[in-house]
Amino acid sequence: MPKITVDRLVVGMCLAEPITNEHGLVLINEGIELTEALIEKIKNLRIESVKIKGDSKPEETKEEMILALEERFKYAISYPHMDTIKKIIKEHIERLYE
Amino acid sequence: MNELDIRTIRSSIEKINTLPTIPNVLKKLLKMLENPATSLNDIGHFISHDPIITTKVLRMINSPIYGFPGRIYSVNQAVILLGLNVVKGLLLSVSVYDLMKKVMMGLWEHSLACAITSRLMAKKKGLKEPEESSIAGLLHDIGKVALILQFQGYYETAMSTADKKNIPIMDAEKELFNINHATAGEWMAEKWSFPRNLIEIIGYHHKPHISRNFPVETSIVHLADILVRGRGFGFAGDRTVPPVNETAWALLNLSNNDIKEILKELEESMGMANELFIE
Repeated sequence: MPKITVDRLVVGMCLAEPITNEHGLVLINEGIELTEALIEKIKNLRIESVKIKGDSKPEETKEEMILALEERFKYAISYPHMDTIKKIIKEHIERLYE
Repeated sequence: MNELDIRTIRSSIEKINTLPTIPNVLKKLLKMLENPATSLNDIGHFISHDPIITTKVLRMINSPIYGFPGRIYSVNQAVILLGLNVVKGLLLSVSVYDLMKKVMMGLWEHSLACAITSRLMAKKKGLKEPEESSIAGLLHDIGKVALILQFQGYYETAMSTADKKNIPIMDAEKELFNINHATAGEWMAEKWSFPRNLIEIIGYHHKPHISRNFPVETSIVHLADILVRGRGFGFAGDRTVPPVNETAWALLNLSNNDIKEILKELEESMGMANELFIE
């Protein structure tokens, strides 16, 4: 889900997460399609960014990303902890495609 | 005299502020920073009297680099909220941004990701001023900017060596210049009167175990650099992730889950941050 700044919202975008006030009360629910009036309302709330629905998967395919990752770690992989770090990042990348 | 004699390199780097490529605003700013009597007020004036700087400062401050919860609307508010050190660093980052974009494709994105990651890590470690870690992350590779500005041809040679031998760029720098970008950055930061913590972090971000006064802060930038390279954000002169320093790793003592959470938040912030900085 891409997180975008409020000034970049356009009519027709869908909220991926509800917008709440500082106490956590829902002001605009998730899944709502944005209208001009709603965008105006969000701007007045003085919030920085919102999550909108949509495809935020990276441009490369998962296989390309993993291959590049293996390449990057070739040099240092035998050093302590590098295998752990690589594993965490690999899982992170895989999750981007779920 | 040999152009790559270590003293010649040092004096070239210390003369960078006189290059015509350095914007006048940065020159003025450096003059102010040199003067120990410069107050928060002076800096506030300096910012608010230049509309371009004002816009840039506010944009930077409201970006995920700093991650403040509410929007900051005025320079005065920013200056009061952030304090002298952070405002100085902020102004330096605003001014160095253009230079970074100019000298190496991808270096800005790398630095931006390091800034966000360093801040997230500082928060995890409970540091009082995570914004200072943002700035350190943003400026840690300033030595690369310095080396490229003064020795572009040689730096390109170092980059091809790193590429051909599949070694980290800092090792290729060392082979050629006898110093790496961390040392170059430290010289530049000293000359430019950066705050003490920044000088130490920049100088030791590849050997955090010998940082004497800011070991945690230096280790944070060290590990952030590795995570960001590992994830593949931006480009910092090579395609190789350098090994993590064992002392830094032990000192930070982050769990796998901590690192996962940091990466997740970094991912979300990067899309937004990149959008913000497209001119």
